[in-house]
Amino acid sequence: MIRVDRLSKHYRDLRRGRVTALNNVTFEAHPGEIYGILGPNGAGKTTILRTISTLLRPTGGTASIDGFDVVADPDEVRRRIGFVSCNTAIYDRMTGWEMVEYFGRLHQLPAEVLTDRMETLFERLKMNELRDMLGAKMSTGMKQKVSIARALVHDPPVLIFDEATAGLDVLVARSLLKTVAELRDQGKCVLFSTHIMREAEKLCDRILILHRGCALAEGSLDDLRRAFGESDLEELFFQLISRHEETEAASNSGGS
Amino acid sequence: MNWQNVKWILLREVRDQLRDRRTAFMIFILPLLLYPLLGVSFMQFSHFLLKQPSRVLVVGARQLPEEPPLFEGERFHPSLFSEPREADLLEVTFAPEEPAAGRTPPPADPEQRRQWARRELEQGGFDAGVIFPADFSVRLARVRQMAAQRPPAGEPGAKPEPVPSPEIVLNSSKAKAEITAGWLRNALRGWSDRIGDATLQASGVPLAAARPFTPLLEQTPQDKHRRSARMWAQLFPIMMVLWAMTGAFYPAVDLCAGEKERGTLETLLSSPAKRIEIVVGKLLTIMLFSVATSMLNLLSVAATGLAVVRVMPDVGPPPWQAWIWLPVALVPVAALFSALCLALAAFARSTKEGQYYLMPLLLITMPLVLATLSPSLELTVGNAIIPVTGLCLLLRTLLEGQTTTALTMFAPVAAVTLACCYLAIRWAVEQFNSENVLFREGERLDLTLWAKQYWRERGQTPTAAAAAWCGVLILMVKFFLSLNAQLPTDFAQFAQSTIATQLLMIGLPTALVAAVSIRGVRQTFLLYWPGVRPVLAAAVMAVAFHPVVVSLQSLVMWLYPMGPNVEAVARLEAIIRQTPLWQLVLVMALLPAVCEEATFRGFILSGFRRLGHPARAVVFSALLFGFAHGFLQQTIITCLVGLIVGFLAFRSGSLLPGMVFHLIHNTLAVSLTRVDVELRKQWHALDWLLSPPGDGGLQYRVPVVIAGAVVVAVLTAWLAVRSTDPWAALSLRSPSSDREDHSP
Repeated sequence: MIRVDRLSKHYRDLRRGRVTALNNVTFEAHPGEIYGILGPNGAGKTTILRTISTLLRPTGGTASIDGFDVVADPDEVRRRIGFVSCNTAIYDRMTGWEMVEYFGRLHQLPAEVLTDRMETLFERLKMNELRDMLGAKMSTGMKQKVSIARALVHDPPVLIFDEATAGLDVLVARSLLKTVAELRDQGKCVLFSTHIMREAEKLCDRILILHRGCALAEGSLDDLRRAFGESDLEELFFQLISRHEETEAASNSGGS
Repeated sequence: MNWQNVKWILLREVRDQLRDRRTAFMIFILPLLLYPLLGVSFMQFSHFLLKQPSRVLVVGARQLPEEPPLFEGERFHPSLFSEPREADLLEVTFAPEEPAAGRTPPPADPEQRRQWARRELEQGGFDAGVIFPADFSVRLARVRQMAAQRPPAGEPGAKPEPVPSPEIVLNSSKAKAEITAGWLRNALRGWSDRIGDATLQASGVPLAAARPFTPLLEQTPQDKHRRSARMWAQLFPIMMVLWAMTGAFYPAVDLCAGEKERGTLETLLSSPAKRIEIVVGKLLTIMLFSVATSMLNLLSVAATGLAVVRVMPDVGPPPWQAWIWLPVALVPVAALFSALCLALAAFARSTKEGQYYLMPLLLITMPLVLATLSPSLELTVGNAIIPVTGLCLLLRTLLEGQTTTALTMFAPVAAVTLACCYLAIRWAVEQFNSENVLFREGERLDLTLWAKQYWRERGQTPTAAAAAWCGVLILMVKFFLSLNAQLPTDFAQFAQSTIATQLLMIGLPTALVAAVSIRGVRQTFLLYWPGVRPVLAAAVMAVAFHPVVVSLQSLVMWLYPMGPNVEAVARLEAIIRQTPLWQLVLVMALLPAVCEEATFRGFILSGFRRLGHPARAVVFSALLFGFAHGFLQQTIITCLVGLIVGFLAFRSGSLLPGMVFHLIHNTLAVSLTRVDVELRKQWHALDWLLSPPGDGGLQYRVPVVIAGAVVVAVLTAWLAVRSTDPWAALSLRSPSSDREDHSP
């Protein structure tokens, strides 16, 4: 479903000069699976997800969804994904209903289909009280619900959640994770990025550990535990990262 | 493009804007309230001014003659004013002449009297004062008496001594001082005339002999009507452009920078709507608001204007043409400014940053708009093709009722306006396609870090930014040099200033910027041997191009006639004619060929090469080349030469052909000043090339010009289709590979 092949992204930064945000990252994710991208802040999680959502163009490698390349067929790609990120806010001066309806229309859903879908979505996500509430008046959790409804309105086969639980309280985060799990059970392919171990442990079928743009390890939780002989994910994560930092430091001092 | 999506985006944005109370207020309520309020307060203010008389102190008025009267009680005599009620506007206080408790009387000495009066004005809070000299009344009486006793015919009469004038002093701390002084002067002048008339009458001279006529200003209602039509014609286009701009600006900032700030832009970008659909949807929204604001302002001004017209008989109503042409012209104006605002606002990270960009936009637009206030600027072909100004002039001409003149200029104005709209929209689309712009993040300004990084990452050839900076630096030095410019009196001075200009204004900035921004001198300045053929081609092109340039020059002069101050050029020509040719070639051809080519075709062109498209690099370098040259007329021609020389450098991959072209081109230009009747007699071939001497300066014959153009075209085509790609052959690396090579 999602194929990412040697994806790289460089950009210029005043402080750090030429920055490698992604360095040859490769993975695949399939329908009915939650693929987790785990990494500390600045690891490149958002860059991967933005590239897959066609918001950024890769500087190297390819990414495709359902066989459509993100560079060659960005429109087809966007038609097949629902993107929820802490950066995808909702409009302040629109009600929950209007917001979801707007994106449904941009997806060119016929009016009856759209109304039916929205009724179901608002029922399922328990957000009927948000129908006529303006975005500006909603709490963070309410906004997140509207965002999810917005991403689901066209029933996409691929869903991308970028640190979607950031800033949510325990109850709302829990219900969000439940929704994500339900989506997997419906056969969606879910990409889920987080820096919270527990979420990854609980939710993800397979995990990619990312640090400074490099993929450090990939596989199911059990695979990872077996391969590195460490049962605690947090411990495993920490070891991988410190080892990566050491090798980076060594190669830097050796190189100059 | 899916128009359905554009429609949804447009509808959403409009609804969003309408739900924002601030925008709704700024765009719909404010214009409706503003002008009536302004009108009311203006009228009240003028009423207030009329009701508040100025206070005047009169010093030394005790023994003034009774007839004709200057005062009537505590005011000036109403008969002295053209409108008798104006007398009430001056409230007169007479300075006491006798010493009283704690008061000194005005001294007799003129200077002391003046000092005294000024002090009194300050202390008493008067607006102005009139000082009659101490002996004024006595000497006035003497003059009148002498005039009345006319000597018998044939005998010379005693010449009367002139009467010392009363002085008007201002209390300059008072706002109404100047205007009060004006009224006082009129009153005193009227009084003086009356005294003169009375004296003449007394001496038996008929008044008609002394003052045979008084000129009258004859004004028909039609004149008044036309005058106010002209006023509206000047006012409306300017207001329309400014409304269209501000009406576009605030929604644009909210729609782009605001959306970025609130985080909804990423949501929209990840939706299936294409970037172009988003841009068009937003652009149409902004245009709609721009048009709506302008129309509402227009209606509000018109309503207020009609109300004011009733009160102020001097002002006529706006011409009827305004109601047709303003809405028509509004559409392209709104499109242009909407696209510009959209691009600027897309660049901004936040609404705050977006609002900063209003000032530069205003700074560029205002001169273009305000230029049309000058009555001497008329709708000519030359002015018609200046963006915004041309459109405003066209509107002004239409509103003045000169429909025929306006319609002949419609095509160029429309072409330029549409071209500008197109470019602005393209720019806006580019902004939305650039992820650097959309995902720009705030960086702390740290100059040391920046400089270090800049030095570390400088490439073989300059960046486009370095090239642009070099150009800006050159233009700045040019500005400061032009402030100190003096017309040379002889060739030595002329040579000095030319060499200084070339070295200081062109060579030095380039050398400075190059020193800090490049590694590869050879690649930047294109120091390569291009082969014999391109050099020969350049030489032939220079010769063939000269006739074309000379006729283009006269075309430009016809479009934009030289102002009187540019006639200094004539003096320069005189100096040039007296100087040995080899010296001229050295200073005016060889030096510029080296300096200007190294700068414009070397450094600047190499920098702009990074913009991706060679045509862009050539055009931008030619534009800078043009603007670095003197006045408008020269700029146009130089831009054209710059295009050709830039093309030479681009296709040959070397600086040399350009230098050869430049050298020959300038040499021919200075040589042409030597062609006179004598030379023509010696060289009959010149008569084949040049038209007979006339008053339009030296001209090539038309067939020669055409032949030249053909040769240039053929050689250009040859250079263009030559299979080699010199820039690629130079293995000029992209900026990123440059950095990779040199990173630690």
